Amino acid sequence: MQTSGLLTACLAGLAMMGPALADNKPMPDNARVYIIWPADGQVIAGGKFWIRMGLSNAGIAPAGIEKQYTGHHHLLVDTDLPPLDDVIPNDKNHLHFGLGQTEARIELPPGRHTLQLLLADDGHVPHKPPLYSTKITIVVPPSTSREGSTQ
Amino acid sequence: MSKRHTLACMPVLVVAWMLVAAAAWAQAGSTAQDAPKRSPAPNDAYVYIGWPNDGEVVRTTHIKVWFGTRNFGVAPAGTSKPNTGHHHLLIDVGLPPLDEPIPSDKNHLHFGLGQTETFIDLPPGTHTLQLLMADGDHIPHDPPVMSKKITIHVQAAPNVASQ
Repeated sequence: MQTSGLLTACLAGLAMMGPALADNKPMPDNARVYIIWPADGQVIAGGKFWIRMGLSNAGIAPAGIEKQYTGHHHLLVDTDLPPLDDVIPNDKNHLHFGLGQTEARIELPPGRHTLQLLLADDGHVPHKPPLYSTKITIVVPPSTSREGSTQ
Repeated sequence: MSKRHTLACMPVLVVAWMLVAAAAWAQAGSTAQDAPKRSPAPNDAYVYIGWPNDGEVVRTTHIKVWFGTRNFGVAPAGTSKPNTGHHHLLIDVGLPPLDEPIPSDKNHLHFGLGQTETFIDLPPGTHTLQLLMADGDHIPHDPPVMSKKITIHVQAAPNVASQ
């Protein structure tokens, strides 16, 4: 009890000290974000596929909709996690799914690519604790023939 | 109150009465024609049960179900944003009327937080599952965004803890 009180006091102190820190919205400790498909190491001929985004013990809400324990998905392609106390960039390496999408059609050129999901709140700022998936690698083989999509 | 005062109030009373009557008439008119309005959905919006598969024999009574959604967004109940909705899982039941709020009971589970997966507990036996999306007011879209109705066979878990 005492330690938790102390911890709270410290955290409060930290919060007051850091004016630059954004106010990350809370998420339950058991909430989890994961990539349902593709699997880590998956070889995807043609490089066109639907990514399926999974979320446990929390909800999806479109960007701009403020509701506790909800957020929307962001897909990080060939990039590392951005700063977790700031708005997620919006570019070809950071795809936003602000309508509340849980699947998206992706097209990637031949080569190895990394994919990672990061959930963020109505204002595109990650939560506390941050909800991100493991970073997976997929392989798009060089196109030898005119192949269609896998899925 | 003097007679003069009463007369002076008359126009105000008449106007007030007309306003109330007009409001009542407008309300009656709208409920009579288009009882709750269904939100439109694009024709390519697609919802499916990602797991379990149709016909799956599930060896646990504590079953994970994940909800697949394409070309459509998920939003919590109470949110009115075009092309979004929240999931409802229909268990062992047919489709409810599509022009009114989906019932909320053990056969119609609401996922109003915007959840995209759940765990359900079902007794051993054959069961049906179907997803039906609805708008911020729990009314299905037009056309309805719903999955195929699947059948699963639940078997009691072996002695080991469930998956």
